[in-house]
Amino acid sequence: MPRMATTQTPEITSTRLIIGLEIHIELATRTKMFTRAPNVAHPSRYDSAPNTLVDPLVMALPGALPVMNRRAVEMSMKVGLALGCSIARRCRWDRKNYYYPDLPKGYQISQYDRPLCTDGAWELAGSGRRIGIIRAHLEEDTGKLGHELPGGLDYAGSLVDLNRAGTPLLEVVTAPDFTTADEVVQFAQELRDLCRYLRVTEGIMQKGHMRFEPNVNLALTLDDGREVRTPVVEVKNLNSFRSLKGAIEHEAIRQVEAWQADGRVMGRGMKATRGWDDVRLVTVLQREKEDAHDYRYFPDPDLVWVEVDEAWLARVREELVELPGSRAQRYVGPWGLARKDADQLLAEPDLSDFFEACVAAAGGAPAAAAAIAKLLLNVGMKHANERQKPLHLAGITPAQVAGLMALRDEGTVNAGSADALFGMLCDSDDEPRAAAERSGMVIVRDDRALDAWVDAALAANAQAADDLRAGKMAAMGRIMGHVMKSSGGTVDAKTVQARVMERVGKGA
Amino acid sequence: MNRPDATAVAAAIRSGALRAVDHARATLDAIDTANPGLNAYHEVFHESALEAAAAIDALIAAGRDPGPLAGVCVAVKDNIATTVGQTTCSSRMLEGYRSPFDATVVTRLRAAGAVIVGKTNMDEFAMGSSSETCAWGVVRNPHDPSRTPGGSSGGSAAAMAAGLCDLSLGSDTGGSIRQPAAFCGIVGLKPTYGRISRWGLVAFGSSLDQIGPFATTVRDVALAYGVMAGVDAHDSTSAAMPVDDWQSTPPTDAGALRVGVPSQYLRNNDPAVTEALDRALGLLRAAGATIVDVDLPMTDHGISTYYVIAPAEASSNLARFDGIRYGHRAAQRAGEGLEDLYARSRSEGFGAEVQRRIMLGTYVLSSGYYDAYYDRALRIRRLIKQEFDTAFARCDVILGPTAPTAAFTIGGVTDPMQMYMNDVYTVNTNIAGIAGISLPGGVDRSSGHALPVGLHLQAPAFAESRLLRVSELLERLLSA
Repeated sequence: MPRMATTQTPEITSTRLIIGLEIHIELATRTKMFTRAPNVAHPSRYDSAPNTLVDPLVMALPGALPVMNRRAVEMSMKVGLALGCSIARRCRWDRKNYYYPDLPKGYQISQYDRPLCTDGAWELAGSGRRIGIIRAHLEEDTGKLGHELPGGLDYAGSLVDLNRAGTPLLEVVTAPDFTTADEVVQFAQELRDLCRYLRVTEGIMQKGHMRFEPNVNLALTLDDGREVRTPVVEVKNLNSFRSLKGAIEHEAIRQVEAWQADGRVMGRGMKATRGWDDVRLVTVLQREKEDAHDYRYFPDPDLVWVEVDEAWLARVREELVELPGSRAQRYVGPWGLARKDADQLLAEPDLSDFFEACVAAAGGAPAAAAAIAKLLLNVGMKHANERQKPLHLAGITPAQVAGLMALRDEGTVNAGSADALFGMLCDSDDEPRAAAERSGMVIVRDDRALDAWVDAALAANAQAADDLRAGKMAAMGRIMGHVMKSSGGTVDAKTVQARVMERVGKGA
Repeated sequence: MNRPDATAVAAAIRSGALRAVDHARATLDAIDTANPGLNAYHEVFHESALEAAAAIDALIAAGRDPGPLAGVCVAVKDNIATTVGQTTCSSRMLEGYRSPFDATVVTRLRAAGAVIVGKTNMDEFAMGSSSETCAWGVVRNPHDPSRTPGGSSGGSAAAMAAGLCDLSLGSDTGGSIRQPAAFCGIVGLKPTYGRISRWGLVAFGSSLDQIGPFATTVRDVALAYGVMAGVDAHDSTSAAMPVDDWQSTPPTDAGALRVGVPSQYLRNNDPAVTEALDRALGLLRAAGATIVDVDLPMTDHGISTYYVIAPAEASSNLARFDGIRYGHRAAQRAGEGLEDLYARSRSEGFGAEVQRRIMLGTYVLSSGYYDAYYDRALRIRRLIKQEFDTAFARCDVILGPTAPTAAFTIGGVTDPMQMYMNDVYTVNTNIAGIAGISLPGGVDRSSGHALPVGLHLQAPAFAESRLLRVSELLERLLSA
């Protein structure tokens, strides 16, 4: 239907996005939220065959009862504290009732009006923009519906996999404080990092460890001076940063067009639910009105109130670790790391922890940190990759790294030997100095031996020697190579160079 | 009906005077003879019962302790999960359903040497006061087969009263142990909420449900209670309170006993019920007890409160019976969607009373009605608790009738509201979460049959030992 082009239609002079975000985080506890069945979000269970992580409660068999997993509550408290939330001293569980084949009990246990964490705030790195956290509450995940048999064959009916049913799910709800898609993505990424550092999830997006649901609408300023707001749209179940950004950006355009076409504005019952089409890169209408569902929330009589006392809270506080944002400031500030190196070390919580353990083992001096970072990133990563392991599990200990750094700094081994030694230490518990000595890596300081190697090298490479005499420094490589070979790499390159120049009569 | 009580049976078997296998076989024979006329049992475990009994005999032969319930034959209400046989809750919805796990009470009973002889019929999903909503046919009262044994634990009560077991288990959400105990002339204990694990009890009203024993004597319910009670890691609502041996509490000194009698319990009772209560009060007074008038004005609000809270919880608890993973699933018809599958499976699987309560519960929890019904019921629940607290400050136990009448005839009560009023004296025990017991208190001969009448004692939460000691006293006074 063509839009009526009357002169009365006000024109939009500017638009402003208003975005709030809900994030579901699957907690990597060993067992599920309300039963001892193993949790699919725990790394040891990622690839479990369908319906193997079940028990009477997960299957909702008659007579089964839920028992709260305290570890999941502790993990949630950690995230809540990191987001600056207040932790409720008492909170409870409610039932959210609805029927669906992936919801075995016919209700989801959640926290409706007494959430565990409330009233926090998060400052975005760089801009320092403050994002309000309305609440963070715990609930249980649902199972999954599929139409594919294991192995990928199509199945005509619906298949239910209950492995995910009952996985602890932390839902974080922000205030509608975002104004751009990029801000939302930045927050989402920072929240992921935070959760990974707090060890509450590995945050693997493809496995659905984090799912995003932005609530998006627009404030439109019109040329008659009025401001109107478009109806809020909730985009469900986005599981990548790319789709999160795409969905918001698409809504920013679509809602303008929708308003121009129908003039609908925000109001009671106007909220719609949309999904994201990852192929067409558009949002698709799922449900028109928000109040289509009546979940009949009521307190779950099978569970008791959660009582959080000071002692418990204090124990959880002790488990809090320094978050990546603060670490980054320390790395590039007092520790003097290159931004790129800092980012690379911070990409994995385990790597960052390992790096810091190495710095501590080396005496904790900020001056040592940058060199250790370079060693780990340039040499260590290579050896770890060769062993197909992450660096912190490659076999070398922080004490060994510190010992190796000391040998290098004092000139006992050269760079090439340090590299080889790193590899050896990955495979043995040896003390670095003993290993270097046993392997003949200690730099030879005996001038006569050095002269013999240099003279032999010059004699064997007469052309190169002449070139050097003629000032062609490129020839140094051949000589050096020869000396390195005959010495077994136990020479200091600078000393050798100086010696060579002396012997060809170009010495200083 | 002239069986020794469970305590005597266990003693005889433990001493070697009676073989557990012989006792089990005799019990199974009695069931085979009498059950067709009563329909107390839905399933009888001939094989596994004899195996369990033989195992007890073997333990005794080996000189090992077979447990305090050695060879005692126990009938289990069909809403309590057992790995032997089916667990159907007397509903078509669960026809053929086999539980892969035992309820905690069943595990504890077995560990104490009990022999589970079968599963008993009940009102469907424990919703009823007459055992007439049972999908496997009505249960009959051993004292008059034209009458109901009460409900919902009617099968367990009838089996006990007919001598078809030594102990039986019921569940009590609003009176479902005590009212059938009264109708069948036996003892039925509803312990404090949280005393006995609900793991394996198919939930009806989770905040009200409690498992309890039927027996012919007070010492027997005490014995069974002692074995089953105590905290269970599988049930968050089970209480971490220590369970004291009731016999470590001294016998009740009648001279120091204060028996509270609420005026609200004295109206609308049949003459035989009034007579039984008067007789009991007379005996207690003669023994030196002080009878105290207490006031429980909220008594009249109990039924309304109950019929908001219990159906609300039930509507959610029974949502799992959706025909997807187990239980009845309607045959698929062309063109039908998921909603139709749910609706037809549940309409076919659940009987009328269950459907009525699911709808009632769904309604009271709906947005816009929650505050007017559910939230208000919770507030009244708190008032009812406070009222009991006040009353128990002035008395040790509260005495009244278990039900206003003796057993009524099968089909005799057709109005649901009239049926619900059967529980007028018992629901508040569950709403307040306190302990209650029904004892045989007299006989109503007005119908030509000798129909038992029950007396109801209530005690504060976790005061089971006191309740049992007073019951023992009253039992002795009444039998003298």
